[in-house]
Amino acid sequence: MKTLVHVGLVAGLSLGLGMSACLADGYKDCTKIDKASWKPASEAEAKAKAAGYEVRKSKIEGSCYEVYGVKEGKLYELFYSPEDLTLKHTIAK
Amino acid sequence: MPDIISPPALTPADKSPQASVYVWDLPLRIFHWSLAACILVAWLSANVFETLHRVAGYSTIALVVFRVSWGFAGSRHARFNRVLPLLRAVPHYLWKLSRGRAGGYIGLNPAGAAMLVASLALVMISAISGWMQITLRFFGVDWVETLHTWSSYSVLVLAAIHIAGVVYASVLQRQNLPAAMVTGRKQRRTFRFPKR
Repeated sequence: MKTLVHVGLVAGLSLGLGMSACLADGYKDCTKIDKASWKPASEAEAKAKAAGYEVRKSKIEGSCYEVYGVKEGKLYELFYSPEDLTLKHTIAK
Repeated sequence: MPDIISPPALTPADKSPQASVYVWDLPLRIFHWSLAACILVAWLSANVFETLHRVAGYSTIALVVFRVSWGFAGSRHARFNRVLPLLRAVPHYLWKLSRGRAGGYIGLNPAGAAMLVASLALVMISAISGWMQITLRFFGVDWVETLHTWSSYSVLVLAAIHIAGVVYASVLQRQNLPAAMVTGRKQRRTFRFPKR
């Protein structure tokens, strides 16, 4: 019985992991075009800089460029489309 | 390595059921299950519900701070003064465990003491590195993100080992150890059983 409870607990935890993996991160759909024709990430960073952000780093998140920016002491995650470098989404941390 | 803690001899008296002993004090039990809940919530909310993830992380830091102070102020089996000798007994204890003997520990056994130290350290590293990620100083700094990811995975691995270890020790000692962490009481009986 005791072991059963534990097995149930572990099964529940695994289910939870699967669930959270499926739900995944906030924003990640910016473009449908092929990765080969994406504009370079440096251009997304340059756009963020031009918009007044101090750029900490950038990475690819789904089909977006995610730029970590700081502005007036506040933290932001900026999501740019690699297709035309439009700002798709902003998350204030 | 001296064998500092050897199991009590198996005598007929040990086989008879005796009164249960109060082992885990109430604050310790509340701490244990609160931390378990925080780890579970932090795990499930990671990359999904950021606010919840932060609340779980901050609560974790508070819980670890409490646990460390309780290691000095708590009751007998919560205190850290027994942990060091227990840690020295870990290799010998693991060898005994592999032969199906759990040893005569009413509080933490050596493997449990090792788990306590490792968990507190890793849980704290995980929580603090997570918090650092949203500070102005460390926002977007790669090593902080990496540290948070891997320390958090390590916490989950430790939790899995902990659960497996508790199940195994429960079988060896023939008592419900998770229940003891709820009621605070353990059966006083010998923890040494013949090999099957």
